[in-house]
Amino acid sequence: MKILVIEDDRDAASYLMQALDEAGHVAHHAADGETGYAMAEGMDYDVLVVDRMLPRRDGLSIVEALRAQGDATPVIILSALGEVDDRVTGLRAGGDDYLVKPYAFTELLARIEVLARRNSPAEAQTHYQVADLLLDRLSRKVTRGGDLVNLQPREFRLLEYLMKNAGRVVTRTMLLENVWDYHFDPQTNVIDVHMSRLRGKIDKGHEVQLLQTVRGAGYIIRE
Amino acid sequence: MGRVWRTTTVRLTAMFIAIFVGFAVVLLAVLAYQTSVRIQQQQTRAIEREVDHINLLSLRASVRTVAFAVQRLADRPGPGIYYLGDPTGTMIAGNVSSLPAAILSEPGRYELSYERGLEIYGEVEDTPRMQGVAIVQSGELPNGLRLVVGRDVGERRGFTAIILSTFWWGALAIVILSVVAGGLTARYVLRRIDAITDTSNKIMSGNLSERVPLTGSDDEFDRVATNLNAMLDRIEQLMAGLKQVTDNVAHDLKTPLTRMRNKAEAALRPGADRDVQIAALEATITESDHLIRIFSALLLIARAEAGMPTGALSRIDASEVVEDVVDLYTPVAEDEGLTVSTEVEPGLMMTGNRELVGQALVNLVENAIKYGKPAQGGAGDISVSARRQDDWIVIEVADRGPGIPEESRSRVFDRFVRLEGSRTDAGAGLGLALVAAVVRAHDGTVRFADNDPGAKAIISFPAAPREN
Repeated sequence: MKILVIEDDRDAASYLMQALDEAGHVAHHAADGETGYAMAEGMDYDVLVVDRMLPRRDGLSIVEALRAQGDATPVIILSALGEVDDRVTGLRAGGDDYLVKPYAFTELLARIEVLARRNSPAEAQTHYQVADLLLDRLSRKVTRGGDLVNLQPREFRLLEYLMKNAGRVVTRTMLLENVWDYHFDPQTNVIDVHMSRLRGKIDKGHEVQLLQTVRGAGYIIRE
Repeated sequence: MGRVWRTTTVRLTAMFIAIFVGFAVVLLAVLAYQTSVRIQQQQTRAIEREVDHINLLSLRASVRTVAFAVQRLADRPGPGIYYLGDPTGTMIAGNVSSLPAAILSEPGRYELSYERGLEIYGEVEDTPRMQGVAIVQSGELPNGLRLVVGRDVGERRGFTAIILSTFWWGALAIVILSVVAGGLTARYVLRRIDAITDTSNKIMSGNLSERVPLTGSDDEFDRVATNLNAMLDRIEQLMAGLKQVTDNVAHDLKTPLTRMRNKAEAALRPGADRDVQIAALEATITESDHLIRIFSALLLIARAEAGMPTGALSRIDASEVVEDVVDLYTPVAEDEGLTVSTEVEPGLMMTGNRELVGQALVNLVENAIKYGKPAQGGAGDISVSARRQDDWIVIEVADRGPGIPEESRSRVFDRFVRLEGSRTDAGAGLGLALVAAVVRAHDGTVRFADNDPGAKAIISFPAAPREN
């Protein structure tokens, strides 16, 4: 995947570049807003990672300018400003995701990978399948190996989100944001409890465990 | 005293004096002028009437009769001036001692000074002679005699003088009264302002407990002072809070920072094997996450306390938020061996920020899960309810734990406060402070009550007006 990181902090940027490289992506770096904007305009990237406060041109104005030109490249905004209204202004400017500093790299990576495939056919599918686990979005039925799995509405949405992003790591905050629509950081292991219940319903009694925990990152559903 | 002259009151007084005096000058000048013109017109007309009368008389009567008539007029007391003489300049009748020859030879209207007496008959030698100024009309009668009729204008001039002196005395009185009144008002205002200035100076030099004195008269100054004092109370309260927070931040941030540093040092210790290093680094990340969480909570509290930006507020369904939070936490509670019961009226609308209200509820529910286990075992039930009560949305989160001692119930909403027995827990003592800040930002109230047994948190938010 080809990623442009517009970030003025040298240390943060070099760490990001190295980590993205290790994760198998091609990452380019711009250290100020104008350069970043020129690069984003001139080349075709899969995802842009844009710091909100940049020298010479701030991140929001870059995103706004790109959107005004009809450029729909997914954008993740990074910001130290994390209050409720900051997030709203960030997304309103055209950002697709908003990550508050400091963040774990695994969190950023998971979000980049989910965002890059946002426009993939999975979005429009009426049903998702992972091995013998089948989720029908229209009838809202889930079967594992042909047996009906009885899920609560929230559990269904949890599984739906995981299966839409099958094969990719989703973090706890991504689940909280996308399934419950809350952006705070719960103190307890609240997401883990929900996940262990879901796992009990879909994996229990089966030899292959589809719902897996990725240590230090989150969860992944895959064969 | 110099300061008194620079006050607004004095400037206003001076302006009013100037305006008033200017107005009086114009008014009196117009009055004096018009009166004077009118008197002059009357006098001129009287003169003309008498001249006409004598003219007519001289057409059909003898010189002697005319002389008698003129003399009769002249003998009346009053401002009239009369002279009748022959063309050679000999006076036949009248009441003036002499007239300039130019007036007699050239008919027309003049203003002149004159002497007046009765010496025409010479009967009373020592009659006092009057001097004055008059307007006169001189002319020639059909029989060739010279006639001069006039009126003394002293009266008219006297009238103008009276008006003028009235004006001067009046103006003087007004100026003196205004200056005195203005000066007194200015001094009074200045004294009140000085009291406020004094107080603010003392406050600026660090004494935050100073207050503006009230006179008890409930005038505009008292009202300003009352508001200022209320503002100062709030500032003092905030400053005290800030000081407490600073102290606590120092303690509560330095402790985990020290732990973090120790762990990093442990990883670097010579001879530490790889497993120890990895464990130490992971612990370092955990500590830094803990710090970040404290930091975010503090920022969030500070933001909420500073007042909500209007853009962050919208019409939200509190019932939905409560249901969401219960839905999110019920499995956690159940894993802890607690049951959760809810009683939520649907469609409780309020103006607020969904994220913040949700966060506040999450904190309360997390607390109930953490501290809500009954001390003697038995069924631990967390009950969450939301209902409308008059114009308020009342949300209650109750547990069956040991409860909160009455004397600590308000203290728990302060930052970094942890009650005895919970000090060893992982929390930073910010959860309830955040609840309080969020509630305050929504103009609501929060308190703890006895759930008998257990603790019951009661939040009230103003309900949004029902939509029609």
